[in-house]
Amino acid sequence: MRRNYHIGRWIVCIFICIWSLFPIYWALNTSLTTPVASQSAPAHFVPSPLVFDNYRRIFGLGNAYQGSQSLWTGFRASITNSFVEGIATTVLTVAIAALGAYAFARMRFFGRRLFFYTVLTTLALPAYATLIPLYRIMSDWGLVNTYTGVVLVYVSGYLPLAMWILYNYFLSIPISLEEAALVDGASEVRTLVSIVAPLAVPALAAVAIITFLTAWAEFLFPLVMTSDLSTEPLTVFITSIRLSHIVPYTLLNAVGVMGIVVPAIIVMFLNRYIVTGILAGSGK
Amino acid sequence: MREQTSGPPPDDPLQAAASAGVRTWRRPLALPRMRALPYLLVLPLMAVIAVLAVYPTALTFIDSLYHIDLLSPPQTFVGLQNYTDLFSDPDVATSWENTGLYVLFGVVLSTVLALIMALGLRDRFRGRAIMLAILILPWALPAVVEGVTWAWIYDPSFGVLNSLLHSLHVIQSYQLWISGNQVSSIFFIELVQVWQITPLSAVLILASLQTIPPELYEAARVDGATERFTLRSITLPLIRPGLSIAIVQAIVQSMNIFDQVYVLNGNALTGRSILMQTYLTAFANLNFGQGYALSFLVTIATVIVSVGILSFVYRTVEF
Repeated sequence: MRRNYHIGRWIVCIFICIWSLFPIYWALNTSLTTPVASQSAPAHFVPSPLVFDNYRRIFGLGNAYQGSQSLWTGFRASITNSFVEGIATTVLTVAIAALGAYAFARMRFFGRRLFFYTVLTTLALPAYATLIPLYRIMSDWGLVNTYTGVVLVYVSGYLPLAMWILYNYFLSIPISLEEAALVDGASEVRTLVSIVAPLAVPALAAVAIITFLTAWAEFLFPLVMTSDLSTEPLTVFITSIRLSHIVPYTLLNAVGVMGIVVPAIIVMFLNRYIVTGILAGSGK
Repeated sequence: MREQTSGPPPDDPLQAAASAGVRTWRRPLALPRMRALPYLLVLPLMAVIAVLAVYPTALTFIDSLYHIDLLSPPQTFVGLQNYTDLFSDPDVATSWENTGLYVLFGVVLSTVLALIMALGLRDRFRGRAIMLAILILPWALPAVVEGVTWAWIYDPSFGVLNSLLHSLHVIQSYQLWISGNQVSSIFFIELVQVWQITPLSAVLILASLQTIPPELYEAARVDGATERFTLRSITLPLIRPGLSIAIVQAIVQSMNIFDQVYVLNGNALTGRSILMQTYLTAFANLNFGQGYALSFLVTIATVIVSVGILSFVYRTVEF
């Protein structure tokens, strides 16, 4: 019976590897070959011939194809936008959520329940429900197609989950350390900064990683909120080159691989925090 | 989270402490009276939530009662007209029907796959950490990029899916997987989303599995229970909380599918989801009033389904 279970486990593991990795491998495989070779039947499972033209083209090197320069300009601008928007969103979300979550977890004040449940209720709303009104608010404020507008929209969407994860985490930290600090005469702000913040690093990291990955993957909001390469992230750029030019799938997959690299690296090295964060967020 | 009506489970220290009258975290901190600090701490949070989440949601409902069409001003109050228009629009009806199919395929496929994956990774073994990283990878990738990648896999002339199935003699000729007919389009678009959302379900189920005491399995083995019996009578009932949250997230995700549809099928009616319909109504036809009405209906539907399932699982709310 144990033996059966071991065999079963290996079958599942092999299945997970193929299921998770094959589509990514296929994008990589396609991106490393020529358009003609990518259309061979039956398909080649290793790139033959192996060429780096698609990546050279994305990075504007040489003139493997025409129009390399404009592609590089667009790619550089959009991946920069993805980083700027992702990082700004992460910093703001973590900071705002941590302060609020700490107050909810440790302090008694008038209106606490009302505030807390208001935030939790917005957690239940589907993200896209506020797409149209947010667009109109941002357009009234003149913030469409600006970093500020995009980041504000993201932050408003991610705060409830971030607050909930951190709230649960603060509850799980023993209160005695904070009490000891207070008894010793430290101010509450001092206690928060030098006692609580270091203890909360794993949860803060989890929230930061999940927030960044979500911002990096965002599509419909920036599709509506951005209108040119000054703010357009990589996700919108990929679909726009797919629609506006006749691009071979080899090149499209190369751009796709570039969009996958950053989150893949994060998962490879920081997956432990992600799992912790997901579980804290599910309110187990 | 287990269903126990009388008394807290003895193995839960928090609950045990609470029932014994011991206050855990609620003990007031040193400083009493009305203070500014808590308000300063929650102010940024509440400001953003109020202006950019609560207000827009309220606006969605209020403006859904107005005729707001950028192509035919002025803005006028029309009551429920936007809603009645929606109910008589055949495209909207098709979109709801499509969304129902997305949810059906999404929930069934992702839950079954996640359950199998979680059961395989239940026990500790060498390489389990790496398997977990591989497992969650698809969850972390942008849906749009996944859509572009899968569009190539599904390609009717050169896609690897056709090539592979043809080599294995499963199909006689290359197939048009998407945009041919409704059911197959939706199935293959949803499969891309399932690829993305299954990891989350698997992690949630896995966490539930690990709360089951190993003694239960020992006892079952001693009593000579079959593996199927063990799965049905011990594992499945005890992972109900994790399973339900996994199902809820699958419902919410698949009900709100957009990115994959946009990339793989554009706005074609064969696979148009309700969110795609909302996007088209508001941002292509510029009929914001009707867009609001549709957004509001999607919100209500999502909240009812998720709250319904969750409240079925959690009889009590802790705060």
